Amino acid sequence: MMKFLPLILLLFAGLFVQAQNTEKKKDSIIALSEVKLISVVKKKIETEMKMAVSVDEFLASSENISFIKRGAYAWEPLLNNMSSERSTITIDGMHVFGACTDKMDPITSYVESNNLSAIDIKSGQEGNMHGATVAGSIDLKRKSTPFGLSKQWNGAYQTGFEFNNKQFFNLANASYSGDKFVVDGSLAFRNAENYRDGNNDDVNHSQFTKFNASLGLAYKTSELSSVKLEAIYDQANDVGYPALPMDLWLSRALITSATYKQVFEKGLFRALDTKIYFNAIEHYMDDTTRPENLVHMDMPGWSTTYGLLSKANIKKNRFSSEIQLNAYNNLSTAEMRMYPQDRSERSMFAYSWPGVTTTFAGLSINNSWEMSEKSQLNFGGSLGVNYNHSKYVEFNWIFHPGTPQEKTRLLPSLHAGYQLNINKFNFSVGGGYGHRAPSVSEGYGYYIYNSFDRYDYIGNPDLDNEISYEGNASAGYKDDKFSIQANVNYFYIENYIIGRILSLGSPMNYQSIGVKGYTSLDYSTLFNFSLNGSYSILDNLHWKGVLTYARGKDENESNLPFIRPLSYQTALHYQYHKLSFQTSINGDLEQIHYSPEYGEDQTPSYTIWNLSADYTFRIKDYKTVVQVGAENVLNEYYSTYADWGNIPRMGRNIFTSLKFNF
Amino acid sequence: MKKSIFLVAAILVAVTSCTLDKTDYESEISTIVTEHFEYLEVISFTKNDYQISIEALNGTFYKGYNDFRLKITNIQTNESLNTSEITFLPISTNYNGNNSSGPHRYNLNYNSTEDYYSGYAVFTNESTDSENWKLYLSFTDNDQTYTVDQDIIVEAQTNMNLNMTSFTGSDGEQYFIALVAPQKPKIAQNELVAGIYTYNPPSNEADTFPDASQFSYSEVADYTLLLDPRMPEPSMGNHSSLNNEDLTQQEDGLYYGIVNYTMTGNWTLNFRLQNQFGEIIKGTEVSTEFTPGIEGARSELYIDILF
Repeated sequence: MMKFLPLILLLFAGLFVQAQNTEKKKDSIIALSEVKLISVVKKKIETEMKMAVSVDEFLASSENISFIKRGAYAWEPLLNNMSSERSTITIDGMHVFGACTDKMDPITSYVESNNLSAIDIKSGQEGNMHGATVAGSIDLKRKSTPFGLSKQWNGAYQTGFEFNNKQFFNLANASYSGDKFVVDGSLAFRNAENYRDGNNDDVNHSQFTKFNASLGLAYKTSELSSVKLEAIYDQANDVGYPALPMDLWLSRALITSATYKQVFEKGLFRALDTKIYFNAIEHYMDDTTRPENLVHMDMPGWSTTYGLLSKANIKKNRFSSEIQLNAYNNLSTAEMRMYPQDRSERSMFAYSWPGVTTTFAGLSINNSWEMSEKSQLNFGGSLGVNYNHSKYVEFNWIFHPGTPQEKTRLLPSLHAGYQLNINKFNFSVGGGYGHRAPSVSEGYGYYIYNSFDRYDYIGNPDLDNEISYEGNASAGYKDDKFSIQANVNYFYIENYIIGRILSLGSPMNYQSIGVKGYTSLDYSTLFNFSLNGSYSILDNLHWKGVLTYARGKDENESNLPFIRPLSYQTALHYQYHKLSFQTSINGDLEQIHYSPEYGEDQTPSYTIWNLSADYTFRIKDYKTVVQVGAENVLNEYYSTYADWGNIPRMGRNIFTSLKFNF
Repeated sequence: MKKSIFLVAAILVAVTSCTLDKTDYESEISTIVTEHFEYLEVISFTKNDYQISIEALNGTFYKGYNDFRLKITNIQTNESLNTSEITFLPISTNYNGNNSSGPHRYNLNYNSTEDYYSGYAVFTNESTDSENWKLYLSFTDNDQTYTVDQDIIVEAQTNMNLNMTSFTGSDGEQYFIALVAPQKPKIAQNELVAGIYTYNPPSNEADTFPDASQFSYSEVADYTLLLDPRMPEPSMGNHSSLNNEDLTQQEDGLYYGIVNYTMTGNWTLNFRLQNQFGEIIKGTEVSTEFTPGIEGARSELYIDILF
């Protein structure tokens, strides 16, 4: 690994020499608001429709994100219609890796909406700041109260009940802001039973219980520097996954970090931000709730990550740049143990992740140059070294005899974009190039059962880097009343990693119909389009609409799986004094471009109508909001293209919530 | 302050420690199987001025394949023999007085670097009240031939990875297949080693007991042992593995192949024994059909293992 170091240094030295300087690029933080270097993000995590949303529901409100759903809990976010191994999902830049081989625990399931302030989504190579990516990055930004607020104590308490699945939730958060000392804390508890579909039938195994707590302590070490210790503890018990043959007995995550920040008033360097972090996840699946299973199987998984993140902001005149060093080490281990019908007999054991270490070190730089009042050029790059080690490499040798135990990859990335604003119009055009390394499952997975296409999946340590070439463009118009914005992007991905049927071997899981190995397609292409519009019909009546379309094809022009069909959303918002009403309609058209090869079938179109109303008032000094609403008002029975195993989605759901702010 | 640091550390340990322990892989694959590396003395006895000692793995003769090392020392001179012709014949006698043997090396080889005589014996059954094993040895020194017999104990083989089978082939010959390695398989590619032997029926009437020509076995040459490993456990649907290699004979006379075990548990090594002309002497092909819920079908010729 050391031999790459001079190369990396050289590359960045080169960038520095060319660098001139600027203003930070405006990120597409979907919840708004980010301020200078120590950010004060005020907007809550909530959608237009619903103020008490889960992290998943909130993410779903972004047009770049779609979801694979295996139940009511822990949805897997797809960015630009690409599965989660193609995007970097981080919490404040920290890498956390799920411990479940079946993707029951995307990182988004280990946070709660009341400990987040915003979610920063970047598309494609622009998202390379936190590490190598193809699809982009999703950074979950934690709440961070600034020092010395005039109001020292702040907090909120939110409770609510959702009738469909009898979900009862309590979310509380509080902060203290002193001149020298800041404390942020949150507690959340959710408990839900099985939900009912549009035919009022129970969807068995869709219950969940989640507890989440977070604590942050910050201390101002000098006028311009501070240290901060943060921790999130998350625990989920008895979570059902109706689309899978097993549920979750327990998952626990501990996510900790220590950060040192230094701000400079003068000079080239404006801020330095260094964080060391540690997180540990344990995930225990449970199939004892599924008596129909022929074989009882334990599938525990563990993932431990240590990391370092160091960020510097540079600004000179119209040039600004952000440099980030990322380093982490992750150990992922997952086991399976099958029990014979005669339990006194020998159990059958194997690793589904045979102790796989991933060590990554990378340096990223993003520059922004305001060429004029109207135009801006953003460009950047990153270079990472990715090292994998498989502890029990003999597992990998079964399918790939003689494959090396270690593998080092170099992951470069480059991107550039140009933005132009002319009066009320804006345009942008950009491109990117980047590599990503295969994920632990893609590289080292061993008989991982995929209940969607019913194949056992085998990783291949010798897979080539996936190489993405992307182009993107946008055009928009905005005035006081009306706005419209169109975005397109196109990815040409070389060595696209996907599972292909192996003629070798036979399945290990009794439900499975065969074995698939992760292989590289020569290439595949992905096209994403979105159109957003908004119109203020009256001062207090607003309309919003979103249309998205995507198309993914492999080298043989066959369809890729999990590509969202044409989808639409239209919403009206009406404000009458302290009362506001929202209604929205959303849906997908029929899925024409489905992929039978990957277990997909044609999903019919659906349309969902949602409705909500809220009222804001004061109890003493406390701002209080009460909300009542209904999702899927017409109780439509439907499932979407990305519902694992076509499990039906929730039928009519009346929700209520009450929130106090102090 | 110190107390609080200690408290914080204790809490940290408590929350970071796993709820369930990870499996220790080494002990997992050792739960059923013990691997023996060491040659220990099985038996030692004297004949005139000679001390005869036999070493085998774990100091025990087991049913199945046994590799052994034999040393003969002249007690007077304290020198070990190295130019002797040594013959080795194990014979089992049952309660009816019928005698039988098993595949073995009759003329032992001298290993000059380690200074011992090497041989092997495939014991076809363990010693019981009604079935006794006896060794008949002969050796020469100073142009004099000595013969000696000695009772031995053959114990049951608890390691199923060293199982054996015997059968009559379609050619009317009697065959023996004994597993030699691996003693302790891994979830990996394992080199599978087996001895394949045939009984040579005597062409003449028995001479004075023990007549070696009545108990003659030879190593089968240039056959191929076709391999198809499966997991017979009903829930495994007769799961098979891949990249296995059929067993072929190597210079040491044993047959070598590759077996891949994809997980621990019960496996069946389904065999088909093929002669040098490509004819199947014994064994049937097993369907590749995945059959969850029923006990896996086996070849006519198989050995069950467990690890």
